[in-house]
Amino acid sequence: MILAEIRVFGRALAVQKRVLGALFMREFMTRWGRRNLGFAWLFAEPLVFAFPVIFMWTLIRAPYEHGMPMIAFIWSGYLPLLMFRHVTGGALYTVKFNGAMLYHRQVTPLDIFIGRQGLELMGNLSACAVSYLLFYMLGILDWPHDYALFLIGFFYMSWWSLAVALTVAALSERSELVEHIWLPVSYIYMALCGFMFMAQWLPNPLRQVALSVDPPLHAYEMIRGGLFGDQIQTFYDISYLSWILAILTFFGLWMMRDVRKHLILE
Amino acid sequence: MITVTDVSKDYHSETRHIYHRVLSNVSFELKRGEKIAVLGRNGSGKSTLIRLVAGIELPTIGSIERTMSVSWPVGGHGGVAGSMTGNDNIRMICRIYNKQFKLMRDFVEDFAELGKYLAEPVITYSAGMRARLNFALSLAVDFDCYLIDEIIAVGDHRFQRRSHEELFDKRADRSLILASHVPQIVKDYCSRALVLHRGRGKMFDDLDLAFDIYHDL
Repeated sequence: MILAEIRVFGRALAVQKRVLGALFMREFMTRWGRRNLGFAWLFAEPLVFAFPVIFMWTLIRAPYEHGMPMIAFIWSGYLPLLMFRHVTGGALYTVKFNGAMLYHRQVTPLDIFIGRQGLELMGNLSACAVSYLLFYMLGILDWPHDYALFLIGFFYMSWWSLAVALTVAALSERSELVEHIWLPVSYIYMALCGFMFMAQWLPNPLRQVALSVDPPLHAYEMIRGGLFGDQIQTFYDISYLSWILAILTFFGLWMMRDVRKHLILE
Repeated sequence: MITVTDVSKDYHSETRHIYHRVLSNVSFELKRGEKIAVLGRNGSGKSTLIRLVAGIELPTIGSIERTMSVSWPVGGHGGVAGSMTGNDNIRMICRIYNKQFKLMRDFVEDFAELGKYLAEPVITYSAGMRARLNFALSLAVDFDCYLIDEIIAVGDHRFQRRSHEELFDKRADRSLILASHVPQIVKDYCSRALVLHRGRGKMFDDLDLAFDIYHDL
């Protein structure tokens, strides 16, 4: 009995693996295909955004602020911001736009989401890695003081990006309002998420408020805590952040579950 | 077997706060090997019914049970990624359905007769070429039941002849749901016809009667 169930599960897992493989390949081919740089665009694309911005900021700001080297501070703020914007940006109507794939019964709306946003996330994470190594070799960035904390910060930032993207993707299929609300919100997010400031810079009552309503701030604090170590004071609460993200992910999955009912396909 | 029980489908109006009932209380059964036609004027719910049977959309009320593998609705744009080349689409379908690339490619190459265009993005194909690729892919996957929406009318004469061969001679044991306006095709190959009108469906065993009623709608 249990053996039979394990076998059924194993077969389902194999289907899942094949479907995701096919969707990753499709996303790859669709976006970068067999033309010019091909898959190198996966991480080159985010870098094309990142380098001019980082360069511009270094021109207008002092080389050291609050005891942190300017470029390192911007790198640790802007690259995760870019990741969030790219992963969530493509999430609007992601299921509808790729509805042609739902013609295959094995493909679920969640598969489509994972295929697209998952690849986007991987591209952005590799852009982080490549740009980090580049800056490290140029002597602009140091090796992280606490690289476990640094990586945990990136893990939570990835989770946060995917959880928000999942919710936006599922809700946008239900109402066009989501699109009109999400675009301004994602702009305001840039100012509030923590990419330009640290919790320690805020006066105390404001800091408490920020830490309780601004989940990505915790992830930013971890990334920077890992990068700069004891030079700075950081505030984060991993269990609070995990709870928030678990709830958001659960909500997103729940909304995604019957998204087929709201789809109007060609 | 496919069992459709009391299926209704509503679509929300894009402009007003109302629902349009596109299908209402449709029921029928399709046994293994049986071939039925769906008749109805444009907008009578034929394509919606086919999408529901395919499992792409869910019915608002009612249930659809399947005990055999069902194709995607063959003939439209669905199921194929337009921005990818024909070859990459073959590769993708192979992965989803666990088929061997070489076998499938050989079959598609032979059946769709797209030649060098298989290396070009599908978006550059004409409607007829697209339909040929789509149909070839679904034949290569080898389903128990095919859902076909008008496709046979799309292709040229040679393609029509070869489609018949593949679908009706080589796969005579498969089931088929065919939405078509062409009486000859329906009469040659289907044993029953479901006539749809204003969302309601009625099954006829007598095809001549079904066409008489369809023409009077």
